[in-house]
Amino acid sequence: MFGFKEKAWSPYLAGALIGLLQVPAFIFLGTALGASSSYVTVSASLAELVDPGIRALSYAGKYLDGAKNWWQVALVAGIAIGAFLSATVSGTRRSAPSPVWARALGTRNTVARFALAFLGGFILLFGARLADGCTSGHGISGIAQLAVSGFIAVAAMFAGGIATAMLLKPVR
Amino acid sequence: MSIIAAIGLGLVMGIAFGFLLEKSRVFEPGVIVGQMQMRNFIMLRIFLAAVASGLVVLALGQLTGLIPKLDPKATLYGAQLLGGFLAGVGITLAGACPGTILAQVGVGYRDAIVTLVGGLFGALTFAYFEPTLRPILLTGSPGKLTLHGLLGLPFWPLALGFAAVLVGTLYAMERWRPWRMELGENADGVLPPTKRAERKAEAAAAPARG
Repeated sequence: MFGFKEKAWSPYLAGALIGLLQVPAFIFLGTALGASSSYVTVSASLAELVDPGIRALSYAGKYLDGAKNWWQVALVAGIAIGAFLSATVSGTRRSAPSPVWARALGTRNTVARFALAFLGGFILLFGARLADGCTSGHGISGIAQLAVSGFIAVAAMFAGGIATAMLLKPVR
Repeated sequence: MSIIAAIGLGLVMGIAFGFLLEKSRVFEPGVIVGQMQMRNFIMLRIFLAAVASGLVVLALGQLTGLIPKLDPKATLYGAQLLGGFLAGVGITLAGACPGTILAQVGVGYRDAIVTLVGGLFGALTFAYFEPTLRPILLTGSPGKLTLHGLLGLPFWPLALGFAAVLVGTLYAMERWRPWRMELGENADGVLPPTKRAERKAEAAAAPARG
């Protein structure tokens, strides 16, 4: 029933297994699952090639080195590999943008989608870094630790997400 | 832990994480935008299941001493309200979260590479603006507030109780609408139009009556 070739697993099982990943994160690194700070580690490391001064910024500087930061970069890189493997064995590899965009945007224009993807990615990571976490760090990890910051950030994320989604065309 | 060991561990955990994100379908833009329009609840199901199992393993970790210390983030009301709201806007426009962008890249969604580049620029822009934003939004934290801390209770009973509530919620959701109904023909969360949307489309297509 939950074979590797299945296209979809029960969201309850898959979700519960994702939650179990907290165990190695806490035992080996003393921290919880997260994804968004890896974007600072990677982008600041690249920026350092042209702007060595970025190391002097107290915020950017603390994400440049260390086991925890590069562990998270490896984690998100691993996400791409794991998703590739899963999609390959179940025959769910993709290429063109999801058909949901033609419905939500009312156009099949890929340039429009690419522009929105850039803008969306930009706002997503700017917001997540301002909030100090994303759906992983504040969501599945923050709430699982009963952190007040997690409850506030997740409520705000759904508020922003729902308000924006209401401006798009209904997807069904 | 050495950097090399941390990277190896991160890769192994990430591959498992990515495999599960793909199998759960939560990385699909159709699932994420559908959730934000309250037309598809697969994302909420996975999210609550991951929180529930996290609560249980962290409670057990505390009880057994295997996980002696939690790592909650500091509370910053303004930054978390504004940053969270912006992140939510981004989730809908990108059709992704910071972690699931990589899953989209892995399965081959072409627009996900653009989202990833946008995300790197967004994070870098924040890093450069952080010194400016710090006095306005990033100071005056009341500390690493937690529910159990505020209530003066140990973590585990509250965590296990909350997990039980979440499991009950998921059970009710499955009774209300089985998850397979939200999968879509191509397992991408894109569902056929609702009856109401069909009627609306028919009414719009029909010639106007005087």
